[in-house]
Amino acid sequence: MAVRGSAFGPVEPTACDRWLWRAVVGGMLLAGVVLLRHERWDVVIASGPFLLKSLGVSWLLTLAAIGIGLPVGILLALLRTGGPTPVKQIAVGVIEVVRATPQLMVIFWVFFAVPALSGQKVPAWTAAIISLSLIAASYLAEVMRAGILSVPSIQIESGLATGMTRAQIMSSIVLPQALRNMVPALIATVIMLFKITSLIYVVGITDFFRAVILINNREFEPIALYTTLAVGYFVCCWLLSLCVRQLDPKYVLAH
Amino acid sequence: MVMRWAVIWDYREALWSGLRLTVEITLLTIGGALLLGTLIGCLRQLPSYFLGRAVLAYVEVIRNIPSVVKVFFLYFVAGFDALPAAVIGLSLHQSGYISDVLDAGFRSIPREQSEAAWACGHSRLQIFVHVLLPQVWAIVLPALASQLIEIVKNSAAAMLLGIKELTFQTQNIDVETFRGFEAATTVTLIYLALALSIAGIMTMLERRMLWR
Repeated sequence: MAVRGSAFGPVEPTACDRWLWRAVVGGMLLAGVVLLRHERWDVVIASGPFLLKSLGVSWLLTLAAIGIGLPVGILLALLRTGGPTPVKQIAVGVIEVVRATPQLMVIFWVFFAVPALSGQKVPAWTAAIISLSLIAASYLAEVMRAGILSVPSIQIESGLATGMTRAQIMSSIVLPQALRNMVPALIATVIMLFKITSLIYVVGITDFFRAVILINNREFEPIALYTTLAVGYFVCCWLLSLCVRQLDPKYVLAH
Repeated sequence: MVMRWAVIWDYREALWSGLRLTVEITLLTIGGALLLGTLIGCLRQLPSYFLGRAVLAYVEVIRNIPSVVKVFFLYFVAGFDALPAAVIGLSLHQSGYISDVLDAGFRSIPREQSEAAWACGHSRLQIFVHVLLPQVWAIVLPALASQLIEIVKNSAAAMLLGIKELTFQTQNIDVETFRGFEAATTVTLIYLALALSIAGIMTMLERRMLWR
């Protein structure tokens, strides 16, 4: 960060300021380590493999939701930008309802709705992946729509003038550019979904969040365990947000 | 499968008390988050390198930890009761995002205005209260509306601490009657109504600000 603007004029830090800031951050981290050194970290280390496995479950859920949500989201975005009116309204309805409902409620709703509508019991995993994909699809649809609208309409008109069909224009002109423009926003959505997976434990899946709760129920070491929980989530999400900054320094992260 | 919507009518009082709790948590959180978010947003505008970095670090930490983790941390580690833990945790969570929204608003105001006020001898506090904030509020209202809806959504996390709000009642109806689908659908509609009413109120405020 070079010169930072403020409401009262630009702020230009000297090299001394920068080192002082680094020293403050280092000092705070050190203070944290000193304060927490007498906690029972052996509990955390003993359950290390279990915690790592559950962190993997969280990632697996995130990736599965993105894998299913991305194609569905693209479809919803295409319907919303260019579908016939009734279909368009259904797409808008799905996107907006899912985005306005608490994620916890979406998870519950899918958990109750799938057995109610299909008439048979479904495993928790199926309900979890369906609900996370639904959330991913509606957020990605909006990301995608912004990506599609970022392609200048003159390119679509040129495509029509050269005799391409709408499907050809979409697949070879609009989507490649839209996908490239939306990569930072896509990673931001991955971060958001990873944070949402912390709610999926309500259907009984042992993700990172539930693993910590389970260990805490047995050992009752809340300080060590919940610090591990917060640090674990922070490191995962922070590394991803660093990727976004590398890809596009001007992108405003709002996950 | 046969639906039995009459169950919802039998549980109308439970749902009503759940709705009241949800609204209570939401309003308290909106107050806390707006206060804290505005304060942090203003701190970021001061011409100090350290404050700027500190605010950025705060926002980064807030953003990269799920809201439930904060609420649980306050409940189990800091030892708060369920309701304060939920309200404080959610306020902290949303304050990071609200300060970001305000920051964008501050940036859209020409710097000359605060310089002129400074030259006239106003203090920093006076400049924020009388010159910058009234304009910033008007500019960020639409973006703020989605932040407030986000607060309604996040309030569902309070059920995980055993607070009997709307989402809790859904689960309760399912446990007692196995009518989870009807309950979840109804409660989803209630949440939609809440989100729509916040959006409506914000649009009204926006119009009044424009007409003034």
